[in-house]
Amino acid sequence: MLAVLLGLAVLLAAVAPFLGRHAGRPGGWPLAAGLLALALWVGLAPPPDGTSWYLPWIPSLDVGLHLRFDGLSWVFLLLVLGVGGAVLAYSARYLKRGPHPGFYGLMTAFAAAMTGLVLADDVILLFVMWEFTTVCSFFLIARTSPQAQAPAVRTFLVTVGGGLCLLGAAIAAVVRTGTTQLSAILADPVWSQDSTFAAVIAVLIAVAAFTKSAQFPFHAWLPDAMVAPTPVSAYLHAAAMVKAGIYLLLRFSPAMSDVLTWNVLLITIGLITTVMGAVFALQRNDLKELLAYSTVSQLGLIVATIGVGTQAALAAATLHTMAHALFKSAAFMLAGVIDHQAGTRDIRTLAGVGRAMPWTSVMLVLAAASMAGLPPLLGFISKESILDAMLAGPGAGWLVAGIAALGAVFTFAYCARMVLRPLPGVRPASLSGMSEGGFWLILPAALPAVLGVLLGPAAWLLDTLTSAGATAASGHDVHSHLTLWHGLTPALFLSAAVYTVGALVVWRAAAVDRLLDRQLFPFTGVEAVAAWQRGTVAFGARVGDLTRADAPTRHLAVPVIGIGVLAVAGLVGVTGLGDVRDTSRPLDWVLLGLIAVGVLGAVTIRSRIGALAVIGVAGFAVTLLFFTLGAADVALTQLLVEILTVVVAVLLLRRLPRGFRRAPRPRVVLTAVIAVAGGLAAAVGTFALTGRRDLSAAGEHFLLNAPDDTGGSNVVNTILVDYRALDTLGELTVLGIAGVVIYVLLESARALPLQYRDPQPVQQVPSSSPLIDTQTNGVFNRTFARLGMPLLLLFSIYLLLRGHQNPGGGFIGALVAASAFALAYLAASSDTARRASYFRLIGSGVLIATVTGLLGFLEGSFLKPLHVDIGNLHLTSAVLFDVGVYLAVIGVVVAALDLLGGWPAPKHPTGGPGADAADPPPDPSPPDREPWPEPVTTGAPTKEDA
Amino acid sequence: MTLALIVGVLVAGGVYLVLQREMLRIVFGFILLSHAVNVLIFAAGGADRRNQPLGDDPDPLITADPLPQAFVLTAIVIALAITIYMLTLAIVGRKDDDTADRSDTARADHGAIEDPLDIDEIARAHGLAPEPAPRGEA
Repeated sequence: MLAVLLGLAVLLAAVAPFLGRHAGRPGGWPLAAGLLALALWVGLAPPPDGTSWYLPWIPSLDVGLHLRFDGLSWVFLLLVLGVGGAVLAYSARYLKRGPHPGFYGLMTAFAAAMTGLVLADDVILLFVMWEFTTVCSFFLIARTSPQAQAPAVRTFLVTVGGGLCLLGAAIAAVVRTGTTQLSAILADPVWSQDSTFAAVIAVLIAVAAFTKSAQFPFHAWLPDAMVAPTPVSAYLHAAAMVKAGIYLLLRFSPAMSDVLTWNVLLITIGLITTVMGAVFALQRNDLKELLAYSTVSQLGLIVATIGVGTQAALAAATLHTMAHALFKSAAFMLAGVIDHQAGTRDIRTLAGVGRAMPWTSVMLVLAAASMAGLPPLLGFISKESILDAMLAGPGAGWLVAGIAALGAVFTFAYCARMVLRPLPGVRPASLSGMSEGGFWLILPAALPAVLGVLLGPAAWLLDTLTSAGATAASGHDVHSHLTLWHGLTPALFLSAAVYTVGALVVWRAAAVDRLLDRQLFPFTGVEAVAAWQRGTVAFGARVGDLTRADAPTRHLAVPVIGIGVLAVAGLVGVTGLGDVRDTSRPLDWVLLGLIAVGVLGAVTIRSRIGALAVIGVAGFAVTLLFFTLGAADVALTQLLVEILTVVVAVLLLRRLPRGFRRAPRPRVVLTAVIAVAGGLAAAVGTFALTGRRDLSAAGEHFLLNAPDDTGGSNVVNTILVDYRALDTLGELTVLGIAGVVIYVLLESARALPLQYRDPQPVQQVPSSSPLIDTQTNGVFNRTFARLGMPLLLLFSIYLLLRGHQNPGGGFIGALVAASAFALAYLAASSDTARRASYFRLIGSGVLIATVTGLLGFLEGSFLKPLHVDIGNLHLTSAVLFDVGVYLAVIGVVVAALDLLGGWPAPKHPTGGPGADAADPPPDPSPPDREPWPEPVTTGAPTKEDA
Repeated sequence: MTLALIVGVLVAGGVYLVLQREMLRIVFGFILLSHAVNVLIFAAGGADRRNQPLGDDPDPLITADPLPQAFVLTAIVIALAITIYMLTLAIVGRKDDDTADRSDTARADHGAIEDPLDIDEIARAHGLAPEPAPRGEA
């Protein structure tokens, strides 16, 4: 049943955006009906206590989707679903006409998250649901308006901070007790045995709850979040967000109520908050703000009561949570009705509401009376039982109850102020349009208000619910008997005193207003949070400044110097190396010489194209080296990569100056010193740490088993496509992303213009020469490409297919095919035509490889190759995987050729230094989504032959 | 010994180029460095056995270690992709591929709007982001 319940709540959340989009604001009706039906189901047929459900989630960490139902879950489920239903029904009339997918989606998601939270019996799941509520509230507040973004971020920061405390507490408890199951953790004897540990966890849990329930000093976010629309506020305040904190405190009470730190902390903070919140509420003139501080105050009262920790106190806290949900949701929705109808919610402006909106006014009076704790309403019973429990509590019970009563005095005063200011009198001319709201708008708001009245005399109806909640919260059987009249108790006298003093405050309202009409503290909570936020950002910027430079040298030098330091440390510290073996062959020395020449040339030559050519010397020498090292496949790959690199680089050189600039001498010397030190370190490290052992165990395993395991005799290829196919799949993805990134980069940033600064080469060719015509002078290349390309493509497929047995394979085949495309590209007479849909190539490559991997599940695991023998022919899915490799690699190289070589023609800096070049003028019409017009031929060829 | 020297030469050249101002030289340096690392991986596998790891029954005593080969093969192709990407970066500068030009000071001199990589500006130019709205306060 629990899984079904949660599943239905999630389903509602999934359906809600569609309903909100297509049905508009009436979409709230079916959603409200859904939530209320769930509430009715849970309310009438609660599953037996201790019902649980389990689904493994992260078995390796023993984290599971544990759901468990008990009295607390019952109470809070009813609140979450019932109030949620009422608020959604209210939204169906309150919101503007039109689609509301985001609002309904988030509200129902909020309800689902709260449902998950109160059912969770796994601390990690509890934390996840806790954070879900944070995220939902963030978006609900933030989406209201651009002005709501700052409050939303502040709310998020405060509550996420609390969430981290919860996570810390959860992990510490899991480590200590060895289970993630909440009920098992709470039943663990560690709480009574290790008082220090229990105190630390108590503080963490309390802080988490304080942030969520807006307790001092974290209270600022709740009034700050008033920018959200009224239904959101109503839900946040009555049943969802802030009640999550109360739920957490009640949930941990069985383990914590005997921990002294817990009692002291909760009572102190709770009492401070309740008095402070009530005073602030008395200060406010905005109805919603007043109600927000009232929530802060009421929650403080509940927190303090939970802190008392006796069975009676927990029962009272449970009851007051319910009472508060009823009167606060009603009050918020009614304030919304007034705002909706009158266009203002400032009680200084409002007057005569009572006559203009009689129904709303009556309901508002009922809600306020319940909030003030007047008999015979539910709020009276809950407040009485709280005072009773406090008086009977351990320690200085009378002091606790006294301070709570002080809070109640102010509560009485602001409740009176809330109704006595706007309702009576004659409505001013500015509010002439004010009229009673529609029936369906008031009904959802009236229901909880009326319930608060009926449940006063009929309080016994709540006996079962309160008892169940208190039993779960205290860990002992509690039997509550709620009655309106319970004799002349001390609490009753306290209440009477509250009414008397409260009435006095109301009577002297003008004097009180004057007294309070000032800032009570030098700064507000919002300012404090904002300052802290700014400070954090500034601190982060300061830290980031250390490495914040776009020029790469600063970043690149760091690892090199680090390697140098490591080498020095190694020279001193590393001992016990194996014997040096002679691994050199005579040819190696020749190659060393070639590489040295190549490197020296690359370092010294200042012509770009020269450096590119010379760097190839080193590359080809390394290719030969790979071949002599017994790596035919690697050598082939390197050879092809060398060629393709040159092709791509030459395409880019057209856009760059001819030479490198002359670097200042100090820079040359400094970088040379770093380079030589790095080279020395690398050489010494390589010499010291390699070539001193036999064949690695892994290598031997592959050599001995690969042919039998895979049916392939090219061991390197079998490693790539059979043994370590996951690595290869990852690599393919990286390649594909590189292709996409190049595209995005060129789309978003302007490429440099082609460099036709030097008109000499063009002028040297007489205009009558056939060379000036790209159609005729490229005829040889084109003919060769036309013949060569199909042959090369065929050859590449041959290489691909034979790769499993002989040198070749997907990478090499793809590079050969890419060379074929490069040839075709270089031979083409124009660079404007788009040649291939390379993204499809990349995508299909990754897709084929992944699907082949999924096929592996037939044999038991992802990417496990399948083998089929048909006669003498051995087929394996590894070859299919290699086809994926083949396509993706071709796609990336073709993408590079196309994007860098011609299409889309690069964009030009507006008015930059390239504007005087032989380029088309900048397109005057931004935003520019069209491909750039073809370069105008002013004597220069449209494409330089590379 | 030779492999160690080759690694040393390649690293020295690579580091020198990587620390220069022009993006193209940085790319060249990166190419040399990836050669160096590839040779280093081969050295780690051992250079005293150099037979091709091919055929149905390779002899582990004289056949080269296939694992480093597989690593290097993948590394080469990845390095190709990254090289192409870095080459692309070389042509999206302001004037040429001078990276010092992209430092914070240089950017401040030019004014942020000149920045070719200003994501917000690009987004606005493509109609993907609204014009900057004045930040509201609570």
